[in-house]
Amino acid sequence: MGLRERLGKEWLFCDGGTGSILQGMGLKGGELPELWNLTRPGDIKALNKGYFDVGSNIVNTNTFGANRFKFDNVPEIVTAAVRLCQEARKEAGREDDAYVAIDVGPTGKLLEPMGDLAFNEAVSVFAEIIKAGYEAGGDLVLIETMSDSYEAKAAVIAAHEVCDLPVIVTMVYDEQGKLLTGGNVEGTVAMLEGLKVDAIGINCGFGPKQMLPIAERLVKCCSLPIVVNPNAGLPRTENGATVYDVDPEDFSEVMEQIAKLGVHVMGGCCGTTPAHIKAMIGKVKVLPFTAPFEKNDTYVTSFADCVKIGIKPVIVGERINPTGKKKLQQALRDNNIDYILTEALKQEEAGADVLDVNVGLPEIDEPSMMESVILKIQSVTNLPLQIDTTNIEALERGMRIYNGKPMINSVNGKEENIKAVMPLVAKYGGVLVALPLDEDGIPEDSDGRIAIAKRIYEAADRYGIPRKDIVIDGLAMTISSDHRSAIATLDTVRRVRDEFSGHSILGVSNISFGLPARELVNSHFLTMAMQNGLSCAIINPCNGPMMASYRSFNALMDLDPNLSEYISAYKDYVAGTAASSSGSKTSAASSGTVLSLAEAIERGVTGRASEAMKEALASGRDSLEIIDSELIPALDRVGKSFEAGTVFLPQLLMSADAAKAAFAVVKEAMADKPRVTKGQVILATVKGDIHDIGKNIVKVMLENYGYDVIDLGKDVPPEVIVDCAIENNIRVVGLSALMTTTVASMEETIGQLRKRKPDTKVVVGGAVMTPEYADKIGADAYAKDAMATVRYCDSVFEG
Amino acid sequence: MPLEVVIPEKEVQRYMGYHGIADITPEMQARIGKAIDQVGVQSHPRIISKEYRITVLEKSVVIHAGNEDMTLESEGLVRNLNGCCGALLLAATIGPACDMLVRRASVTSAADASIYQAAGAAAIEAFLDDYNEKLKKSYEARGLFLRPRFSPGYGDLKLDHQKDWFRLLDITKHTGIELTDSLFMVPTKSVTAIIGIGINREKTGCSGCSCCNRHDTCEFSRERN
Repeated sequence: MGLRERLGKEWLFCDGGTGSILQGMGLKGGELPELWNLTRPGDIKALNKGYFDVGSNIVNTNTFGANRFKFDNVPEIVTAAVRLCQEARKEAGREDDAYVAIDVGPTGKLLEPMGDLAFNEAVSVFAEIIKAGYEAGGDLVLIETMSDSYEAKAAVIAAHEVCDLPVIVTMVYDEQGKLLTGGNVEGTVAMLEGLKVDAIGINCGFGPKQMLPIAERLVKCCSLPIVVNPNAGLPRTENGATVYDVDPEDFSEVMEQIAKLGVHVMGGCCGTTPAHIKAMIGKVKVLPFTAPFEKNDTYVTSFADCVKIGIKPVIVGERINPTGKKKLQQALRDNNIDYILTEALKQEEAGADVLDVNVGLPEIDEPSMMESVILKIQSVTNLPLQIDTTNIEALERGMRIYNGKPMINSVNGKEENIKAVMPLVAKYGGVLVALPLDEDGIPEDSDGRIAIAKRIYEAADRYGIPRKDIVIDGLAMTISSDHRSAIATLDTVRRVRDEFSGHSILGVSNISFGLPARELVNSHFLTMAMQNGLSCAIINPCNGPMMASYRSFNALMDLDPNLSEYISAYKDYVAGTAASSSGSKTSAASSGTVLSLAEAIERGVTGRASEAMKEALASGRDSLEIIDSELIPALDRVGKSFEAGTVFLPQLLMSADAAKAAFAVVKEAMADKPRVTKGQVILATVKGDIHDIGKNIVKVMLENYGYDVIDLGKDVPPEVIVDCAIENNIRVVGLSALMTTTVASMEETIGQLRKRKPDTKVVVGGAVMTPEYADKIGADAYAKDAMATVRYCDSVFEG
Repeated sequence: MPLEVVIPEKEVQRYMGYHGIADITPEMQARIGKAIDQVGVQSHPRIISKEYRITVLEKSVVIHAGNEDMTLESEGLVRNLNGCCGALLLAATIGPACDMLVRRASVTSAADASIYQAAGAAAIEAFLDDYNEKLKKSYEARGLFLRPRFSPGYGDLKLDHQKDWFRLLDITKHTGIELTDSLFMVPTKSVTAIIGIGINREKTGCSGCSCCNRHDTCEFSRERN
């Protein structure tokens, strides 16, 4: 019988530890155990057979670290491992009821944006291992010891793309049930269920006792078969060797308790031996078996956050959508990601639970923009995202690269649209927003909308997307053109709740297009919709009245324990003013005196600097004149004091922030006019180097002094820098390196520039740099800090 | 586990580039305080350490690790470990949250980015100081004395030895710290180190800023003010 037919229907048992047994056979501390598949096959077979002999149904191949970062002959090593495991199974006489698991461990590298491994490269690393294991005849893929849900996602996608074998994933949590990357049990389960794995579990990290509470949480939230593979206790060193203290008897006793919680597959990890597994099987096999059952919670997740869609309405921030937003449109055209990130952080601060991300503009490459914006937003916020696009390629690339289980906006009732969108949701997982409209348009009343919603639910059934992961859009449309439209929408929302026990969503502010004082109608409509069961509201969370409705509703409906959210938002509320939730931050200096623009910059008071700039512009002064006579001289005074050592870096940076804020005001005012710059400069942290604080500081300073900076980021290959310099005919390139190990790639970059773009000057900096070192690698100049870089650029462009 | 140590404000200021006393405005103090709070709340330290027998030779130290020996060539380390017969090798991190805080701050404020990065540096050091202090007590109860910690890349101990630390301790598996090809650790607020164990209480000749080959020029030296 195939494993899929047995998983979740009867007790199944995994194997135990590998490393400690191989160490007993003489494996050295730093030796790669997978090499033994070729050099000591007899020992590996004996290891596998030991577990088949005591009754394990699922035995791992010796391929935990068999990836291309450690080996250049991955297929050979994996194939040998599968063969050895198959032979062991045959010799143990277990061919009828035991399975060979292609064991896949983490790559040892962290994925971007935390580390330096690109997501799609991780997929290809895993695909190489799994393909070799599949072709050699492995029966399932066991992805284990994952401490990053993103890496687990890469491995699952790889497995599904190269074979149709069952896939089991077990993660490593700490005692609080957190992954290294910050994710929790519920969020990881939601993501993995969305990715359609066959079983989910925990392994390694610690012993069975510490694992018990985490197994309990898994049982509560997971609808799939649950796997538990603990260590034989916590590791301890004895004479340089790692030892584990829990003996087979104690191990099996705790495993018996875990079994009774309602898990389905059990085994061991580090320090456990065939004796542990044997004792465990003896105790567990006789216990009654509880099959897994469907849990009804809906989660949208990021790598570290987990938002439940249920009774309490969820706020989806709508600001990252270029429709009708000129500044965002310009930012997208200029590839100004920082603007988008600022919008993301603002909405998070204002109380958004999820952020909608729509980057659709006719003149940009939407798929690659979607991919890069998602990566960038996920590098600065934990909030889950709603991928919002009608471009199917952009949708797929976004869903693939997304770290977690996203919301998807949207599918509709048209057959063609269902065929395009639902397979992607079935593959990658996600909570899908469904618009109840079809080839005949938008039904006017709720009967029509509910009929289409029903068809969409049925389509989801066909694609294997759980109904709990569908969120029906009530389709808010303006009451100024159809006076009954709000009624139809509210009816739809209520009926989704009552007739399908389903979830709903609204783009709330659409209700008031064409009306004055829109936030009045919008905020009342929001309250009415929530009262009718609305699950998710797409709104601008920076709008005071909308958030006031939302927080008041939660307070009134007992959805805000101790009213803490309400009180913390409105403790300083003044009656009669607009319900401003975010409040205006104090921008004047604490002394109470009003600072001039120059003073605000010198003292680093950001809010006042931008206000002073606004006032200056409002008085009719020319922006360039203000910059030249006030802004730059103020910045210069701070810069000179910094160079003289009387002002420290933090003060320089605060002034830089203030100047940047003042510049932003100018930029906004001159959005339609051509920009005046001193010149274009490329900045990059060289290949292999991942620290970019220094480079970012240089960027801010250069921009403040009027340079247009092309920031290529960190870990940038030489050819990318050279190509960019040629394409934009760049006169100065600034390179940063933090460690001696990356100075070599700085030298390489300079060498390539000299060959292909000899007239470009190179200025270098970073912790390990010295003037002598800079000279040795052929740079034109060494800059000891951001001010020195500004001075150097001035000397090139003005000299 | 949560970060159960106080992040010292003075150290944060030192990492930010304040040398000695400077007139730190109340506003800056408030921003530093907020960063210390955030880094403190969001950090989840992880640590792995193993004890080995060692042999201290004239110019190198040999670590006896189970089935293999590893040699560390460094006169500074020899001075540090003089009189030791054992050592702890360790790796610790405060986790990835601080790196995200720095990235977030970078979007809006260069000053905040530098404050968060300084708070993170101070946090991992404070965590290890606290860990050291606890170890010291437990070893002293057994009549053994610990030396100050010493890290690859410090003094004349080559940074290349990072690879040996990762191999011997299986650091990535136990703590999630990754070593990149150019020997950076990710999360960035991570430390590897060796701590000598001796039978005598000994003031060693190589620790702190004095033994570092950059102590004359370093912006962050404790000896500057």
